[in-house]
Amino acid sequence: MTAIAHKPARKPVRGRDIVWMILPAIPFVLLLAGWTIYWAIVRPNMGTLPPVWTVAQTLWQITASGELLGHIIASLGRLVAGVSVGIVTGVLLGFLVGLNKRAAEFVYPLVIFFSAISGIVWLPLVIGWLGLGPALFIFLIWNTVFFLVFQNTVLGVQLVSEVLELGVRTLGGSRLHTILNVTAFGAMPYIMSGIRSGLGFGWRALIAAELVGASSGLGQMIFHAAEFHRADIILAGCVVIGLLSLLMDRLILVPLERRTIERWGLVTPGAKGA
Amino acid sequence: MTPTVQGDKIVVENFQHIFDSADGPIEATGRVDLTIPAGQFVTLVGPSGCGKTTLLKAIAGFIDPTHGRILCDGAPVTGPGRDRGVVFQELAILPWRTVRRNIAHGLEIARAPRQEIDATVKRLIELTGLVGFEDRYPHELSGGMKQRVAVARTWAADPDVILMDEPFAAVDAMTRLTLQEELASLSYQTKKTVFFITHSVDEAVFLADRVLVMSRRPGTIKASIEVPRRTPGGRDWESFTTDTDMQAIVEKVLRLVREEKTAHKKDSAPVALEAAG
Ligand SMILES: Nc1ncnc2c1ncn2[C@@H]1O[C@H](COP(=O)(O)OP(=O)(O)OP(=O)(O)O)[C@@H](O)[C@H]1O
Ligand SMILES: [Mg+2]
Repeated sequence: MTAIAHKPARKPVRGRDIVWMILPAIPFVLLLAGWTIYWAIVRPNMGTLPPVWTVAQTLWQITASGELLGHIIASLGRLVAGVSVGIVTGVLLGFLVGLNKRAAEFVYPLVIFFSAISGIVWLPLVIGWLGLGPALFIFLIWNTVFFLVFQNTVLGVQLVSEVLELGVRTLGGSRLHTILNVTAFGAMPYIMSGIRSGLGFGWRALIAAELVGASSGLGQMIFHAAEFHRADIILAGCVVIGLLSLLMDRLILVPLERRTIERWGLVTPGAKGA
Repeated sequence: MTPTVQGDKIVVENFQHIFDSADGPIEATGRVDLTIPAGQFVTLVGPSGCGKTTLLKAIAGFIDPTHGRILCDGAPVTGPGRDRGVVFQELAILPWRTVRRNIAHGLEIARAPRQEIDATVKRLIELTGLVGFEDRYPHELSGGMKQRVAVARTWAADPDVILMDEPFAAVDAMTRLTLQEELASLSYQTKKTVFFITHSVDEAVFLADRVLVMSRRPGTIKASIEVPRRTPGGRDWESFTTDTDMQAIVEKVLRLVREEKTAHKKDSAPVALEAAG
């Protein structure tokens, strides 16, 4: 990739943007085509696999009735809360451990121990402790996001070149100044990567939690549909979750990366996964 | 930028550093004693791997010496500080700061007034030939330009002592000549104490008040050669290359360095040879 030229030319960038938006759709189109062909030949039971157009119709119905929007708002609220708590705690503890050998010795065994225990295991206990309220969702999402962000942050902090930090120390920078102006920036590619996986796995944890402990939300919508063998609603729910996750990536993470780690040449544009 | 105090700026006493590695201790340097008076420009030449960078890092306060001690203005060095600026052998400017903000960094830390920062940055950007690149990020610059930013950044912070580790190695030959002349006049005018490592004997003699030659690893200082200042304001390459006294010093230093290389070859020590200058 050529570095940003003298003045970023507006027109060509726009043209490339459109191609960039269209090309990734091809695998999705192929997937839909495969599904349609399979359905036309095999004619599976509607309760297990409905055709594409039925799912599309259902999606339209629940959208038009406003039902979907209510679920989306409920789920997004929980996701944002849980992921935020996960990112903040993961980054803070990640810095502590990455910067301090002593802290690492204390915290690491604990983290490894608990990272192996999935949310499902906690669920029966945590319902007892926290009830079926927002705290339950936040905990279960945190339980996934935290570990991903933490591990990535530790690695990122440890990989920041020491010479960058020493250089700023010789300019008179305090340790805190150096952490905020060197380590925090240098660790960003890894932190971003942790946040990206954290968001994806945060969705998984959220839907799982909602299957059990909610009266609204996309997970609840899917759970409810399953009771009535409405595969069309289940698939519509999957489509919505996938699209929302994709949108968050494209509208928040990708632009953020463009303006930061890509702008600074810390990562090569396009080298990361979508 | 007031002229600095009289007396000994840097004192290295009975210094030696030994690294612990997986294969046992590595003697990075031999015993080194060195006194640098305030305002002196000292250059250091020696075979690759002889311990030049290790000595510089100890003076900078990055490593705790195994033996001996290091004093700056009479006080033991315990860590890095803004009184001792460093231009590193590897690149150390921050990728997330533009050229301007990298150069301004030291002054920002010192909370200098805006106008002073702007004026200093402007002057150094002109001096190092970076005009027009003020708002670029380092990854958009060439290797030589990045190194010039590193020099400007250290200079802008205005430390009493400047430690430089082959700062011009990645700069093109033409720019290097200009930078060397500018460095000579700047440091003489501002009476800075400079400790400058290089592989180029010409560069070492051109810049120095005193050239130190280090023996091969574990390196000790085997010779110290005074270089008289002809013109008080600075030096230029034209008069340097035609000055027979200067050329005699170059030859002398070259001979001392060559001795180390040939001795080194005979020993067939497993350290890479690097051409001087
Ligand atoms: N962190 C380290 N751990 C172990 N050994 C080291 C370390 N740093 C340097 N050394 C060893 O110490 C010796 C001196 O290294 P130093 O970097 O001071 O050499 P130098 O004179 O600056 O060489 P050059 O001219 O190639 O830069 C070398 O043999 C090197 O292998
Ligand atoms: Mg070196």
